Amino acid sequence: MTLSIPVIETERLILRGPEASDFEAYAAFMGSDRSHMTGGPMERATAWRAFACEIGHWVLHGFGMWTAVDRETGAIVGQAGFWEPEGWLERELGWRLYDGFEGRGLAMEAAFALRGHAYDTLGWGPLISVIAPGNARSIRLAERLGATLERDDWTTPSGKAALIYRHPGVSAMHEVSA
Amino acid sequence: MTSIPEIRTERLILRAPRQSDFAGFSGFYSSDRSSFVGGPLTEEVAWRVLAAEIGHWTLRGYGRWAVEVAETGEFVGIIGLWNPWGWPEPEIGWDLMNGHEGKGYATEAARAAREYAYGTLGWTTAISLVNPKNTGSARVAERLGARPDGTSFTHERYGYHDIWRHPAPEEAA
Repeated sequence: MTLSIPVIETERLILRGPEASDFEAYAAFMGSDRSHMTGGPMERATAWRAFACEIGHWVLHGFGMWTAVDRETGAIVGQAGFWEPEGWLERELGWRLYDGFEGRGLAMEAAFALRGHAYDTLGWGPLISVIAPGNARSIRLAERLGATLERDDWTTPSGKAALIYRHPGVSAMHEVSA
Repeated sequence: MTSIPEIRTERLILRAPRQSDFAGFSGFYSSDRSSFVGGPLTEEVAWRVLAAEIGHWTLRGYGRWAVEVAETGEFVGIIGLWNPWGWPEPEIGWDLMNGHEGKGYATEAARAAREYAYGTLGWTTAISLVNPKNTGSARVAERLGARPDGTSFTHERYGYHDIWRHPAPEEAA
């Protein structure tokens, strides 16, 4: 069995499938306090299994989280992609920026490109994003992407409160751009 | 990214895990039979464990296969080479799904996995971690010619295990 993950290029980023050598950047972020809005912090052994799970997600579902690489420097800036482990509400568009790469609009760029990929290439309907209530940065990004708060009463399978933002669908986006 | 080879034995096919294995996998992990390997688990956690079995292949270049009976296509176990971060050394591990014990499937698949480790990957030794109360697993280790080597490994979630050492490649051939 071999799985091939499409490479998606944006102005400043290359989004590619996760590789073994991405683990150090993932473990560094997931070991830091900044990860507390996105599943962390976790010790290294747990992070290893979590990263393995992210890779396996691709194989089990055919979609998953891409590694986002700075086109110019080759630095791994974070992850973005589609996430729907067992018990998730529905398929979500998610993102995670590693330390030092915030504030440049990189998550916006990745999320926008992937939402386009979902709608245009995969033919999916309006996506959600699952965001921790205190994650002001992610909420701002969801709003900039045109998503609106749909519900605030969902909890993840591990018992964490979550806000559900609904992205505009294909037709709404076309109206905006037209 | 992830490339998982297929291996055939007399009765079994060792292949990549897939979503259709999840029902059997979560059935095992929701039962008390999984208590020797960190269970019982919720379905949500079991799914992540199955996904991590696959990602292990990408991170290490080897991992555990889903084992199915060639004749019927039934998914009967997760068996192969296991070495997540923090493990004492690379292990040959076997989990038989519920209802598929007692047919020698674990021994047959684990032997094929060991041949792959020694022959294709060039391992010079291999261990299996066995909870002393897990007599079924100890019997499989014995049939494979492994013996307790006097050391142990205790994991904060999986508990105490005796380390069984497999025969070296030249002895196991």
